[in-house]
Amino acid sequence: MSESVATFPEGLEATREPSPYGVQSKKLTMWLFIASDAVTFGAVLFGYSYLRVGTPDWPRPFPFFPSILNAVVMTAVLLTSSLTMLGAVSSAKNGKKSSSLKWLTATVFLGLIFAVLHLREWFHMFHEGWSLSHNPTGGPVMFGATFFSVTGLHLLHVLVGIVAMTVVAIGFQTNWLDENHVETTGLYWHFVDLVWMFVFPFLYRMNAAPR
Amino acid sequence: MTEMGATHSPGMKFYVVVWIGLLCIAGVEVIMTYQEFSTRVLLAVLLILAFIEAAIGLLYFMHMKYDRPILLWSFVLSIVFVLLMMNQIWPDAYRMASIGHH
Repeated sequence: MSESVATFPEGLEATREPSPYGVQSKKLTMWLFIASDAVTFGAVLFGYSYLRVGTPDWPRPFPFFPSILNAVVMTAVLLTSSLTMLGAVSSAKNGKKSSSLKWLTATVFLGLIFAVLHLREWFHMFHEGWSLSHNPTGGPVMFGATFFSVTGLHLLHVLVGIVAMTVVAIGFQTNWLDENHVETTGLYWHFVDLVWMFVFPFLYRMNAAPR
Repeated sequence: MTEMGATHSPGMKFYVVVWIGLLCIAGVEVIMTYQEFSTRVLLAVLLILAFIEAAIGLLYFMHMKYDRPILLWSFVLSIVFVLLMMNQIWPDAYRMASIGHH
């Protein structure tokens, strides 16, 4: 691939320095996005924690079965999807396109399982009367508002990741995209998993019903 | 275009070990949930374990350990700074709890 050459007016020298980060622009862009999204999730989780700690009668509606157990399964599924994503990136970097596509497919599949389990949990709570503005136990309604908004924001990221991985898989197969796109998408997916490492303890385990 | 920085990448066996470690930490978190801790102590324990998991994921899954250190120092330090500054909320949260606001 030829590199573009910048032209400058006479007297001015064009200085082209290598990137100090030593990564491609798309990877650096993804890191910049991850940094901003991490702070966004941080702010949202701090807001939730503030309300949680500041409300003495905060409800703790999640029994071990099925809620906490379901969330544990979701955590295991998402962690496993990160592992399969690593397989996809590793295979892509080593030139094993077929293997990489299989790992990507497995990652998409696990992401879909996570989303289905998550939505199943939501509909179970809707059925019990929980919503953004309603608490069926008569306690603080902020529980529903914070729970559904925080987990909803994370679920949105999961769904976007599933779509992105599908597009990258198709593009990689047709040679429209390359292994660096797989790596960049992998970074996003690992970040989504990393956020769940905070959402799970704060939104589920802090609200586990006492035994 | 050539890769700008050659980076080392451990094999899948190593990643499986890290994956098992993360699952174990998640298991410890579940066990901690059902101990007789106050809200503050449980929050602190879960926060510490979550940060350990995040650090492991960042360094190994997101490959930051094998990239140039400037990438780590540029992004992680700034994010950590912002998150630490957000900790200013706790005194007011405990104030709310002490006066019984809903």
